[in-house]
Amino acid sequence: MKLCKYLIFFSSFVFAINGEQLAKQIDAKPKPKDMKANLTMVLTNKKGKSRTSSIRSISQDGGEKQMIYFLSPADDKGVALLKIEHENKDDEIRLWLPAFKKVRRISSKKKSDAFMGSDLSYEDLTNRDLSENTYHITGLDTIQNSEYYILETSPKEETNSEYSKHVTWIEKQSLVPLKETSFDKSGNILKEKTFIYKHIKEYDTPTEIFVTNIQKNHTTKLTFENIELDSGVKSSLFQEKNLKRLPK
Amino acid sequence: MKQWFINNSLQRPKLTFSIMVFLTLIIGSGVRNIIVDDNIMNLLPKDIPSRVVWEEINEEFGETEFMFVAFGNSNESVYNSKTLETAWELTEQFEKITLDGKPLVEEVISIATLNRIDSEDGWMEVNDLMSEKQLSESEIAEIKSYLEENTGVSSRILGRNGNFMNVVIRPTDNLHYPQLTQEVSKITQPYEQDFEFYFGGESYIVGKIPEIIVNEVGTLMSVGLILMIVVLLANLRNWTAVAMVLSVIMMSALAMMGFMGWVVHFSGSSRFYFSMLNTSMPIVLLTIANSDGVHVISRFFREARKHKNVETAIRKTMNQLMLPISLTSLTTVAAFLTLLSSPIRPMVGYGVTIGFGITWAWLLSTILLPSLISLKKWNLNSTALSKPSIIENIIHRFSKDIIQRPKKVLFGGIAIVLFSLLGFQFIEVEVNVINFFKPGNVLRESTIFLDKEMSGSMSLVMKLEGDMKDPKNLNDMVKIQDFLELMPTVNTTISLANVIKEMHKSVMDDDPTFETIPDEREKVNNLFTMYSMSGDDDDFSALVDYEYETGLITAMMQSISTKDVVAHADTINKFIKNNTESEMTVHVSGMLMFLNDFVDLVVESSLTSIFFSILIIGAIAWIFFKSWRYGLLSIIPLSSAVILNFGLMGWFGVHLSHFTALLSSIIIGVGVDFSIHYIAEFIHYSKNGVTIDKISQKSVDDVGYPILLDAFSNMGFGALIFSTLIPLVHMGGLMVFAMISTSLGTLTILASSLELFKHKLVKH
Repeated sequence: MKLCKYLIFFSSFVFAINGEQLAKQIDAKPKPKDMKANLTMVLTNKKGKSRTSSIRSISQDGGEKQMIYFLSPADDKGVALLKIEHENKDDEIRLWLPAFKKVRRISSKKKSDAFMGSDLSYEDLTNRDLSENTYHITGLDTIQNSEYYILETSPKEETNSEYSKHVTWIEKQSLVPLKETSFDKSGNILKEKTFIYKHIKEYDTPTEIFVTNIQKNHTTKLTFENIELDSGVKSSLFQEKNLKRLPK
Repeated sequence: MKQWFINNSLQRPKLTFSIMVFLTLIIGSGVRNIIVDDNIMNLLPKDIPSRVVWEEINEEFGETEFMFVAFGNSNESVYNSKTLETAWELTEQFEKITLDGKPLVEEVISIATLNRIDSEDGWMEVNDLMSEKQLSESEIAEIKSYLEENTGVSSRILGRNGNFMNVVIRPTDNLHYPQLTQEVSKITQPYEQDFEFYFGGESYIVGKIPEIIVNEVGTLMSVGLILMIVVLLANLRNWTAVAMVLSVIMMSALAMMGFMGWVVHFSGSSRFYFSMLNTSMPIVLLTIANSDGVHVISRFFREARKHKNVETAIRKTMNQLMLPISLTSLTTVAAFLTLLSSPIRPMVGYGVTIGFGITWAWLLSTILLPSLISLKKWNLNSTALSKPSIIENIIHRFSKDIIQRPKKVLFGGIAIVLFSLLGFQFIEVEVNVINFFKPGNVLRESTIFLDKEMSGSMSLVMKLEGDMKDPKNLNDMVKIQDFLELMPTVNTTISLANVIKEMHKSVMDDDPTFETIPDEREKVNNLFTMYSMSGDDDDFSALVDYEYETGLITAMMQSISTKDVVAHADTINKFIKNNTESEMTVHVSGMLMFLNDFVDLVVESSLTSIFFSILIIGAIAWIFFKSWRYGLLSIIPLSSAVILNFGLMGWFGVHLSHFTALLSSIIIGVGVDFSIHYIAEFIHYSKNGVTIDKISQKSVDDVGYPILLDAFSNMGFGALIFSTLIPLVHMGGLMVFAMISTSLGTLTILASSLELFKHKLVKH
C-alpha cells in the first residue's frame, strides 16, 4: 500500500499532471449546450448475427437530459425514452410504449442493466461524476505518432458501479479518449470500447463508439450522423408528454 | 507349410519361443500409444438426420441435455439460509468448471441465477431472484412468496414438496460429459454429509457410464479370468499346461492392444481410439485365444496318452489341428471384419484390431505353443496325461447317446430352434436409459426420484420456425405446451410464451387476467423492448434465436424409452396438425429422438453383419473342406445359436437395443469355432480308415472334450452378469448363452446331422 502511494506521488512528477487534474481538465473541456443526432446501433452476437436500430437522440447539458426516439426497425418505431440525471437522487428514466399507450418508469437502481440489449449499460451512458471516482495516470503510450495518457479510473467504495476500474487512453493534446478497457468487480476484463471523435464547431464530438463485451462475445457499434450542436433545444422538451410524439 | 511350422517349433523350440516373445513385446510396446476416448457421444454417427436437427438446435440454443443435481432433506423446507447458501455455492462452483482453461458449463439454472419479474409502479422490473448469498429471514420469506405465486418458475427449481432444490447444469457441448460428471461429483462431495443428493439427466448418465464400466469390467473380468483358470486346472490337472494356455491368451491380448496403439500412432485415426465399446475386446479375444490353446493342449494330452511319446504327440496334434485352428481363425477374423460396415466408427477399429489379435493368437497357438510343449519335460505317467478328465468321461457317455439316437437329437434340436423362431414376433427394438441400471442402483434410484419429485430427468425439445413475436404463433405455442403438460410423462414445459405471459401480467400491474399472450404483435415487441431496458437479452437465448424467427419448447420429462418418445412425437405432430392455426413448422428433437434412429441403424447393421458373417463362414468352410455340404453344415450350429439368441430375447421380453444387437454380432463370432473343429475331425477320421459307424463316436470323443472345456472355461466371463450395468449383464449372459448354444449345437444338431447324412458325405 505504501509502495503504491509512493508510486502515485512520484508519477505526478513524471507526468507533470496527476490523474485527478487530468480528469478535471477533461471535465472542463467545452461542451455543447445541446446536441441532436441520428444514431445507428448495430448489435452483433457471438454467432455473428446482427440487429440494427435507428435512433434520434436529443440531449442537453452534456447528456444530463436526453430524449431518445426509435425510428427503426418497424417493430420499435415510436418507442421513446426520456432520461434526466439528478445530483442527489436516482436518475429519472421513462419509457413510452406506444402499443400499450403507457409511459413506464425504469428503475435506475441497477446501473449495470444493458441499454436496449446493447453492450452499453445505463452507467456507460451516464456522465462520470468526478467526486465518485479516483483517478491515476499509470503511464504514457504512443500510438500512430500521437501521445496518450493512460488514465485509470476507479469508482470509490461507496459508488454504485458495475466496474472495479476503467483504463482509458487519452490523447495528450486534445484530451479525447481513443479507447477504454473496463474491468468487472472480480478484476476481469468486461468491456473494451473504442471511440472516434470529430471536431465540430469548437467541440470534440463522438461520431462512433464500438463496444465489445469480452465475457459475452457481443458487440455494439454506435454511429452518429446529422450531428447538430447548440441548435437551441428548449428545456421544456424533456418532459414525459413529449415522449409520445417524434419532434421534427 | 504345415510341416515347416511344426519342424521349426520342435527342432528349434528355444529360438522359436524367443522370436515369438520378442515380436510380441515389440508389437505390445504400442500400448503406450493408445488413446482412451471415454465419451460415448463420440461413438455416435454425426450424419443421421435427427442428429443434424438436434445439433442445429444445440448450436442455436445451447445444449438441450441438462444435468440435474437435486439436493435437500426430506421433511425440511428448502427455505432456510443453509440450503439457499448451498445452492448459491454450488451454482458458483459449477459455473467455474473448466477443462484445460475452457468452460464446460454454459449456464447453471438455480435459485441463485433465476430472475424475478416484478411490477413496480407499473414498471416491469427484472431482478435477481436471490440477490446475494446470505439472506435475511424477510428476504427468504419474500423469495418463498414469489415462488409460491409463480409456479412456472418454481417447478423448474423446486421439488413437489418443497424439500428439495434443483440445480440444473447446461453443458457447453456434448463432448465432455465424463469430465463434467467427475467435476460435479467432486464439488458436491463436501455437502453430502448435510444433504441428500440426487443426480440425473441424459448428460449425467452418459458421463457416468464410462466410470462404472471401467470399475466393474476390471473387477468382473478378473473374476472371469480366475474362474477360467480354475476350470482349466480342474480338467487339465497340470499347472504348466494351464500356464501355457494363459501365455497364449496374455501375449495375444498384449499384441492386440499394442497393434491398436501403433495404428493410432501411425495413422492418427480416431477409429482406433479405445472407446467404451472396446472394453469388451479383451474378453472376446481371451475366449478366442483360450479356444486355440485348449484345443492344442487337450489334444496333446490325448495323443500323449495314446502314443507315450511327446514329439509324436505334438506332431500328431499339430498335423490334425493346424487346419481347423487356421480355419477357425480365418472365419472369426472374417466375421469381425464385417464390422467394417458398422455405422459406429470405433467398431471399424474394433473389427480390425480384434482381427489382428485373433491372427496373433493363431500364430502363438501354432508356433509358440508346440515349442513350449516340447521344451517341458512331461511325466507321461502323471494323472493329467494318463487318465481322462471329468469332462472327457462325460462327453464319452454323451457321445454314445447322440450316436444311438441321432434322429431324436436332431428333431429335438430343430424343435427348440423352431420354438425360438416364434419368439421373433415379440422382439422389440428400444432403449430406455433407466433400464441400463439394475433396480437399487444409485443412478436408477436418482432418476426415479428426479422423475417423481422434481422436474424430471429428461428433455424433449420442439423447434418452432415462424415469427416469434406473432401472437397467433405464440398462442399456438401455449396450446402445444398445454397439450404436452397433459401427458403423464411430462412434468413441465418452458418456452418464450411463458416469459411473454409473465411480462404481460407484470406490465399490466400484476393483474392475473393479463397472464396471457398480448393480442397485438406491437405489444409483444414493446414487452421485449421494455425487458431489454431492465433485463438481459441473453435471458431468452435458450428460448428464441437472435432474430426471433425460431423458438424452442422444452418439455421436462420422466425417463421413457426411445419407442415411447417416437410415439409422443407422433401424437404431438398430429395435435399440431389438427389444432393449431399458424403456419409454423415444428420439429420434435432431442437426444432421445436421435437415439431412436441410432438404435434402429445399429440393430439393422448388426443383423446384416451377423447374416454376412454366417455366409462368409459357410463359404470359407465350403472352399477348405471342398464340399458345399460341409459348408452348409458348418453354419448350422451358429445359425441355430443366432435364432435361439434372438428368439429367446423375444420370448423373455429382453429388448433388442443397439447394445444387445452389437454384442450378439460380436459374441456369436466367439462360438463359430466349434463346428469347424468338429467337421475337420469328422473328415479326418473318414479319410483315415475309421469305419463309417465309428466316425461320429470318435469325433465327439476327440473334439467334444476341448469344445466343452473351452465353453466351460469361457463361461467364467458370465461373472459380468453380476454387474450393476444391464448392458454388461447382457454381455455376460450372451457370453454364457453363446458358449452353451454353439457348443451344444455342435455336439447335438451338427453331430446328429453328420451321423444321419454320413453315407452321403463320406466317399468309400
